[in-house]
Amino acid sequence: MATVAEPSAAHPASRFAGIGVTYEGRDPALLERMLPLVDYIEVTPETIAEQHGDRLALSSAVMAELRALNGAAKILVHGVSLSIGSHDGWAPSYFQLLEELLDQLDVAWHSEHLAYTRVDGQHLGIMLAMAKTNEALDLICERVDAIQARYKLPFLLENVVHVVPDAPGDFSEAGFLNALATRTGCGLILDAYNLECDAHNQGFDIEAFLDELDHRHVRELHVACGVEDNGFLLDVHSRLVRPSTLDLAERVVRSANGAVQVVTYEFMPEAIPGLGHDAIVQQLLELRRALARLP
Amino acid sequence: MAAQQRKLLGLVRSTYDGESDSDPYIRTVAASADLLEARRNILLWRVWVLERMCPLTFALLKSRGALGELVDAFIRRCNISPFRETQAPEFLDMVSTYPDHVLASVSRFERALMRVRDGESGPFEVTWNVDPHLVLIRLAMQLPLDEPIEEGAWRVVVSPQEPGGFSIERTG
Repeated sequence: MATVAEPSAAHPASRFAGIGVTYEGRDPALLERMLPLVDYIEVTPETIAEQHGDRLALSSAVMAELRALNGAAKILVHGVSLSIGSHDGWAPSYFQLLEELLDQLDVAWHSEHLAYTRVDGQHLGIMLAMAKTNEALDLICERVDAIQARYKLPFLLENVVHVVPDAPGDFSEAGFLNALATRTGCGLILDAYNLECDAHNQGFDIEAFLDELDHRHVRELHVACGVEDNGFLLDVHSRLVRPSTLDLAERVVRSANGAVQVVTYEFMPEAIPGLGHDAIVQQLLELRRALARLP
Repeated sequence: MAAQQRKLLGLVRSTYDGESDSDPYIRTVAASADLLEARRNILLWRVWVLERMCPLTFALLKSRGALGELVDAFIRRCNISPFRETQAPEFLDMVSTYPDHVLASVSRFERALMRVRDGESGPFEVTWNVDPHLVLIRLAMQLPLDEPIEEGAWRVVVSPQEPGGFSIERTG
C-alpha cells in the first residue's frame, strides 16, 4: 500500500504537465488505486477489442468501466494497428475501433506510431520505423492531413524504437519529426524510453536529437521500461521506469516550456502480475513528485 | 519505398535472406545482430500474450520444452495481427492440428472455453485419449505432467449450460 498521502488528480502534477497511465480494463482494483494519481487514462483500442465471429468490437465490459470514469480522468486513445507508414495504405480497423470509442466517450486526443506494422496485408509482428525520406514524409503528411480532416480531434504521432538499422534518408530523426509537425500541425509523442533503447542498441545520439527537435510540438511524453536481452534493450513495457528515463522526461518537459500536457507511464497488461499494483501506484507517485519538483 | 518495405518484411519474417540483395542497406540489415534480436522480440511479445491468453496450452508446451519451436512456427506460418484477442485463437487452432493427442485436446479445450467466454452457445465437444482430470488439474496448478496418465476414451463438453462451464465423461 502507498504510505504517503496520495494527491488528487484535481490538482495536476505540476504547472507543466499532468500524469497519464495505461489502462486496458478488466482490473477495477488497479484502476481505483491509479485514478486519484492521474489526470489521463491512455486506452489502446486494439487491446480492449474482442473478436465476435469475424468482427472486432470494443469490449462492452471495458467500455462500461471507462464510461464510469465520468470525467475523473481524461481519455487518450493510443492505437497500435494503423500502420500509417505502409506503402500500400493504412489499416482501417483502427478507425473502426476509434469511431466506436468516440461514440461512447469524450477523448482529449488520439495518437499512433510513426511506423508501419504491415506490408501488402502481411503483418510484421513488430513496428518498423519509417525511412526518413522526402517520399515517406509526403506520404505521412498526406495521411495525417486526412486523419485530422476526418476527426476534429488533435492527432499525435510517436517516435518508435529502431529495431533494425535505420535506412538512408533525407532527414535526421528530429528533422523528420519537425518537418512532419510543421507541415501538418500534428502533435508529437516523445517516448523517452524508446530514445534510450535507440541509444543503447544503435548508438543514437539523444543529445543531438533533443537539440535539433522543436520541443514546441511535443504534447505528450511516454515513460516505460523493458528488459535487456542479448545486450539489446527491448521495448516491451514490462518494468518500472529507470531514473535515467525519468530524468530525460523531466528535461523535455522543462525545455518544452508548457507544450507537454501529459507524461504517461506505460505498461503492458501482461506485466501487471509481475509488477504488482503497489509498485505501479508507487511509480505514479514518483512521477508526480518528479514533475512537482520542476521549477 | 514499396520494395524496401517488402524486403524488410521478408527479413523480419525469415522468408527472405537478403544476403545478396542489390541494395546495400538490405544487406546491412540482413547481416545485423539487430535483425536477429528483432525476430526474438517478436517471439517474446507472442510468448507474453499467449501465456496470459491460453495458460493451459502454454503450460503444457513449456513443460514439454516445445514452446519456442511452436511459437516460432506460429510466427512463420500465420499472418499475426496486432490484435491480442486474435492471437491466442489462431495459435490454438494451429496447435490443435498437431499429432500429439494430449496437446491437441488441451488446445481444443482451451479454444472452446474461449468461444464460450466470447458469447458462443456451443456446446463444444473435445475427445481425449487420456484422463483429462489429471491433465487439467496439473496444468492449472502449473505442475509438471511427469506421472503416467490413465489411457482410455473421454469426452469433455464445454458449454455455458454446464455447471462450471464444462463436464467430463468417460466414454470407453
